[in-house]
Amino acid sequence: MADLATRQDPHVRARLVEGNPSLGQLTETVSKIVESRTQYSWYIAIGVTGSITGILGMMLAYLVSTGIGVWGNNQPVGWAWDITNFVFWIGIGHAGTLISAILFLFRQKWRTSINRFAEAMTLFAVACAGIFPLFHTGRPWRAYWLFPIPNTDLYMWPNFRSPLVWDVFAVSTYATVSALFWYVGLVPDLATLRDRAKNFSKYVYGALSLGWRGSARHWRNYEAAYMILAGLSTPLVLSVHTIVSFDFAASIIPGWHTTIFPPYFVAGAIFSGFAMVVTLMVIARWVFNVEHLVTIKHLENMCKIMLATGTVVGYAYATEFFIAWYSGNPYERFVFINRAFGPYWWAYWSMVSCNVISPQFFWFKKLRTNIPFMFFISIVVNIGMWFERFVIIATSLHRDFLPSSWGYFRPTAVDMLTFFGTFGLFLTLFLLFVRFLPMIAVSEVKGMVATDAMHDAHHAEAVKH
Amino acid sequence: MIQIQTKQSGKQYWRSLDQLSHTGEFKDWLHREFPANASEMLDGTSRRNLLKLMAASMGLAGLTACRRPVEKILPNVRGVEDYIPGKPFFYSTVFTQGGTGMGLLVEVNDGRPTKIEGNPDHPYSLGAATGYQQASVLGLYDPDRARIPMTGGNPSEWKAFDDFAKDHSTKLGTGEGLRFLSDRICSPSLLAVKAAALAKYPGAKWVEYNAVTHDETAAGGQLAFGQPVITRHKFDKADVILSLDDDFLGLDANTVLPQKEFSRRRRVTSAKDEMNRLYVIESQYSVTGAMADHRLRMRSSDVKGFVADLAAELKVGGNELQIVGGNRDAKRTKWIKAIAKDLTEHKGKCLVVAGPRQPAAVHAMAHLINQALGNVGETVVFFKSAADTVRPQLDAIKELAADMAGGKVSTLVMLGGNPAYTAPADLEFAANLKKVPLSIYLGLEVDETAVLSKWSLPEAHYLESWSDATAPDGTASVQQPMIQPLYFGRTAAELVAQLAGYKDQRAYDIVRNYWIAKFGGKDEAEKTWRKSLHDGVIPGAAQAEIKPTIDVKKINGAIQGAAAATDALEVVFVQSASVYDGRFANNGWLQEAPEPMNKLTWDNAALLSPATAKKLGVAQGDVISIERAGRGMQAPVLIQPGQADDSISIALGYGRVECGRVGKNVGENAYRIRTTDGFRFAADARVRKVAGTYPLAQTQEHGSMEGRPLVREANLEEFRKEPKFAQEMVEHGPLVALYPDHDYSKGYQWGMSIDLNVCSGCNACVIACQSENNIPIVGKDQVIKGREMHWIRMDRYYSGTGEHPDEDPQVVTQPVTCMQCETAPCENVCPVAATTHSPEGLNDMAYNRCVGTRYCSNNCPYKVRRFNFLAWNYGTEEVQKMHYNPNVTVRMRGVMEKCTYCVQRIQEKKILAKREGRRLIKDGEIQTACQQTCPADAIVFGNINDAESRVAKLKGQTRDYSMLEELNTKPRTTYLAKLRNPNEELAEKHNG
Amino acid sequence: METTTPQTVDKAIYGVVAEFDLPEKLVAAGRKIHHDYGYTKLDALSPFPVHGIDDAIGVPRSILGYMVFCTGAVGFAGAIALIYYAGAISYKLVIGGKPFFAFEPSIPIIFECTVLLSAFMAVFGMFGLNKLPQLYHPTMNYAGFPGVTNDRFLLVVEATDPKFDIVDTQRLLESLGAKKTEVVEA
Repeated sequence: MADLATRQDPHVRARLVEGNPSLGQLTETVSKIVESRTQYSWYIAIGVTGSITGILGMMLAYLVSTGIGVWGNNQPVGWAWDITNFVFWIGIGHAGTLISAILFLFRQKWRTSINRFAEAMTLFAVACAGIFPLFHTGRPWRAYWLFPIPNTDLYMWPNFRSPLVWDVFAVSTYATVSALFWYVGLVPDLATLRDRAKNFSKYVYGALSLGWRGSARHWRNYEAAYMILAGLSTPLVLSVHTIVSFDFAASIIPGWHTTIFPPYFVAGAIFSGFAMVVTLMVIARWVFNVEHLVTIKHLENMCKIMLATGTVVGYAYATEFFIAWYSGNPYERFVFINRAFGPYWWAYWSMVSCNVISPQFFWFKKLRTNIPFMFFISIVVNIGMWFERFVIIATSLHRDFLPSSWGYFRPTAVDMLTFFGTFGLFLTLFLLFVRFLPMIAVSEVKGMVATDAMHDAHHAEAVKH
Repeated sequence: MIQIQTKQSGKQYWRSLDQLSHTGEFKDWLHREFPANASEMLDGTSRRNLLKLMAASMGLAGLTACRRPVEKILPNVRGVEDYIPGKPFFYSTVFTQGGTGMGLLVEVNDGRPTKIEGNPDHPYSLGAATGYQQASVLGLYDPDRARIPMTGGNPSEWKAFDDFAKDHSTKLGTGEGLRFLSDRICSPSLLAVKAAALAKYPGAKWVEYNAVTHDETAAGGQLAFGQPVITRHKFDKADVILSLDDDFLGLDANTVLPQKEFSRRRRVTSAKDEMNRLYVIESQYSVTGAMADHRLRMRSSDVKGFVADLAAELKVGGNELQIVGGNRDAKRTKWIKAIAKDLTEHKGKCLVVAGPRQPAAVHAMAHLINQALGNVGETVVFFKSAADTVRPQLDAIKELAADMAGGKVSTLVMLGGNPAYTAPADLEFAANLKKVPLSIYLGLEVDETAVLSKWSLPEAHYLESWSDATAPDGTASVQQPMIQPLYFGRTAAELVAQLAGYKDQRAYDIVRNYWIAKFGGKDEAEKTWRKSLHDGVIPGAAQAEIKPTIDVKKINGAIQGAAAATDALEVVFVQSASVYDGRFANNGWLQEAPEPMNKLTWDNAALLSPATAKKLGVAQGDVISIERAGRGMQAPVLIQPGQADDSISIALGYGRVECGRVGKNVGENAYRIRTTDGFRFAADARVRKVAGTYPLAQTQEHGSMEGRPLVREANLEEFRKEPKFAQEMVEHGPLVALYPDHDYSKGYQWGMSIDLNVCSGCNACVIACQSENNIPIVGKDQVIKGREMHWIRMDRYYSGTGEHPDEDPQVVTQPVTCMQCETAPCENVCPVAATTHSPEGLNDMAYNRCVGTRYCSNNCPYKVRRFNFLAWNYGTEEVQKMHYNPNVTVRMRGVMEKCTYCVQRIQEKKILAKREGRRLIKDGEIQTACQQTCPADAIVFGNINDAESRVAKLKGQTRDYSMLEELNTKPRTTYLAKLRNPNEELAEKHNG
Repeated sequence: METTTPQTVDKAIYGVVAEFDLPEKLVAAGRKIHHDYGYTKLDALSPFPVHGIDDAIGVPRSILGYMVFCTGAVGFAGAIALIYYAGAISYKLVIGGKPFFAFEPSIPIIFECTVLLSAFMAVFGMFGLNKLPQLYHPTMNYAGFPGVTNDRFLLVVEATDPKFDIVDTQRLLESLGAKKTEVVEA
């Protein structure tokens, strides 16, 4: 009998994996990224990102030793870049789980080549996000009081009514579950690396793969677990940004106190998440030449999702204005007029042009299959999404009920360098990931390729007779 | 023993500071105002070094120890006879400023004066105090105070001075060439010592000079009545009041009594009540102008013409009254007619007052009008002046300066007042001072005068020394010390007594023996003395009332003449609401207290009307140079709606160069262009824009209410038609909550009512709160960032009226502090339950639980929460810590804080009630700090569960409303709507 | 009498491994040997989950779902208990005039706790059921074992199977299309 590859029907193969690799070739392609000798370029890259992470560390040390005053926050703008960055990163963290969970439930096979990558991105984004809720507190060394630990200082519990406590639960749950999900997916591929490894690394991968041997009994429970995790993560990923949006929706500040926030935030999160995946994928597939596994088809699909969610976000902006006018509440009306034409007009219009206008280009297939262009747009979108959070937080706070207390927020160098530093952390983690772990879920891809092949085989035989 | 300590601490201090002053770091630190430190706190290391330096340099180790005075002083009844640790004493004493005394009650914790209150038994205080007085306790613990005698710029010691003085006084002979220079004296005992000195040295002269004076007021009395009189206005008797450039509710009087009396006539409880009417003619927007029912902005130099025309309109003093020139536009004429009509309709029940800035003639005219309208004996009464003639201070100091220049002065003894800084510029006092062979300066700080004097001696602060003072009506009080002099300072009386060889040398003996002698009768005297100390008022010392009559001819002579030229700009010198004449420049509380109208902190500025600014082509923050009389200064522009056109107001007391860390180089020195011929205002200023802009730290930048019903205001007539207008001003649906409300029907339920109709926005409450609650200052940079910490703030809104709302608006002020909402939005969002509700309805804040997410502040619709963005209290020196209220936590960096309704005072009274076996606290027994000091009694606090309590009754009034009630926050602090009582003849469309 | 060979006596045998190069061959062989020849102690090793292998060699459905549901329920109840105890029993505080316990504001936390515990069980329950970590297994003695995580497919017949016979079973497997078969020791 012929080998898998020789039998595959071209038009079937063309869908997701190009160049009809055999199972062995698939293993080879992905594994050699990890096994090959480390490139100097990698060292240079991690050197750069590492030092940027160092800046983050220094800024946080300065912050903790001196006080929130090193930031631009003031009365009335109690939250500014800190929470903006938090929502920005946590939003980016949504694409991964979405791809691995929701697309899995919808049987979107094209997810298999990118889900590992996207999940990793999720974890690292959440790690960056987690920094801000912790360090935006005036006394971070007391921040553990937000967890339900009856601490020995005061024997008090957190206030479970506070959206910030909901945040703590949501974000920590999300981080944990994403990590578990990611690791479960990794185990079979770690086993592959274990079995290929020559030197001591076989013991590392051996330990990490827990002695996985692909027994039918393993796969049976494994698939059950994967399905359950997908089922759990789907509502979870939606809940996280919903709850983040409660931070604002549950308050009474005009511009925050809005019922549209949960869906609006979730759409925004997926929007920014996919933008970030595209940004990174375009680079990674080129650097590690896995273009035949992560095809233009994958990228195009992601562009479509960006188009859809971007439009939803635009619709949300419009609805906010309509409701502000329709409510007849003078404070609401003022806030939105102030957003568009007040001191922060520039932030508002950057947001609109980046988030609402730029994705519309993806209506054209030519553009959404043009890699440089989508790369550019994906970055524009993330800039826009950062501005969205800034607009919501800062412009709502800086002019609320009492004109006597109106103020203006100006970021300091520390604000900026801290945010800059988080990118260093994000990229550093990413470089470590692509260097030491399989960036594509090989076993899943194999499964997909093989099942296609089998179906095609049956199909072919049926035709013969 | 004491002496030895002095030497050591003194020498040690100077040695180290001397060597310090050579380190560059210390130099540039010196050249930075303390607030810069607040931002400098970002740099931990430099900050720490600074502390090391200070710690090393100041021999303050012993200072926090208890230093109760050795002489016998008596606690007020409100204290306890025997000292119980932690239990405060209350001593009565007296505070002297501008030549008048004001009775105070001082809280002393463990031997440390910590809080100033007004003395309820004192006729001019009645239990309230001003911001200056509230803040004076901080001045006591100012680490930058003068510490030891210096001679020729070198450290010395008291003993050296004593030897010198003994030897020198023998050389003085008859005292030719001996001059004394002091503030206006209102201390009977000092006057006695003065008399003795002048008796011993017949050739000597004693000169009194105040940079902020009521000279013209006195001269006006002299002019009108031919004898010096003291005028006492009874604002509570007047239905119609006309203020001629007189900020009598604010800075131009002693603030407290006028406000007490004035507010009595604006306390409208029902639609039936009457209300007085206030017309204000002024150049700069003052708190009095804000209170006015009608305010006419007018250059100070045009007021004379205005009052002359008014007098003519009133047919008083005959028609020979003429002012040549001056602008007589239709509006002005309309006003004069309307006011004249209103005044004549209220004969005997109206009052015309003129401000100390106005020349004697205007005061005389005011007297004339008052007499013509039969107000004398009704709304205005006169007392015999202590002095038998009025000699204008300016003449005296001119002569002194001339003598100094002419080398006629061999010994000049200066008792405070910092003349080198405050004297009129054209006298070149500082330069002349150098010509004086021997100059002796007794001052609280090492100021511009101290550094130029041969001998500069540390003066004792009024809270640490014995003296006495009389109120304007002659009511005398004894100033008793609460603590031993921190830096071994001496009083003016002691210094003069020493030079004059007076029979008593120590302040205690000087004061006590003076009064004992006055009282007469050994045992009686002793009793009276004790009683005087105890009450804070000396019985029977008040002056007798007199009924002088006016000599019209003289006045006419004075009033004649040309009106001020209108082509040049007018510059008006006003005393600063913060630093007075400059003496409080080193007081952080006052520096950071926002100017009542323009909310400027840490600076003075040239106030321009929008039109004038347009004309000059300058914008807010631009720098202009003001030139007059061949002198010039530069100042940043601050655009003040309601400022008279072509008139620049600039506050005195800034731009100090020889000053402590807080006040050094803060603002611009307006004395530079203040000359003897343009002492109060001068209409000959030339202004040009110079390069550069200057950042101004205003605590409120947005003046409009944006049409939001925050301060609710109506005219008296509207109120009578619509008594519930305030409550009906906002339309909203039923306020339903998702959950049943918590039950607050039992026990004490604290609440507050603030009457916007009497609040003048004078800032006394702001400082009182700062003092009571250990609220830190943050400094100019941080104020600009919007991080000031005041727990109670004074919101000021402009409400447009008339044709040019932005040029000539009305002003409303609103004290805003934590509303103690029953359904507090801040509590719901705090993740760690650091802010929760007490059973008594207080919105409690647990500092040690707070992690500082600032979510509560974001969610507070009133924005009354304050966050410690930096360690504001880090590096407070030991001596400064002595002013802390021991019952209030000093908050650390990173925690949120806010008004607590002075919960420490509530607890104190509850404990007291329990100890006395009482079941209930009496209404009014608990007073919050802001309420206690409010001169207008605008703030009332109490138990709203007690239907009989004042606060409950006030909340029952129809004017009662809660701000933003549509949010259903159920605030415990509610407001009584503001009313104005306009004259329909001047009525303009009012859209407040 | 004493014709026993020591090797075969003290060497315990785990079973026979047969290697296939295509998943469907594995499934076909598995179905035959299980359904037609009645072998029961079977296992299949593959680089990815091969569809149909479970019923082919008679592997029952996973019970993981039930375990997860139970822990989820525990999370749900636990969260309610925690919030109720903290707010209404342990430390009563009036916050914003709200009741000490209310369901609505508790929903987010209840949900998150449910998900968190369920996820833990899903993962660690799976490892437990798979007896992982298990760093040694007899099948690893098979020389070609590393291929299993690459592109090989193994069918394992354990020696404990009543029908097991070293010779016959190997022959049978080869007849079912195994590329090669081998006996692995325990």
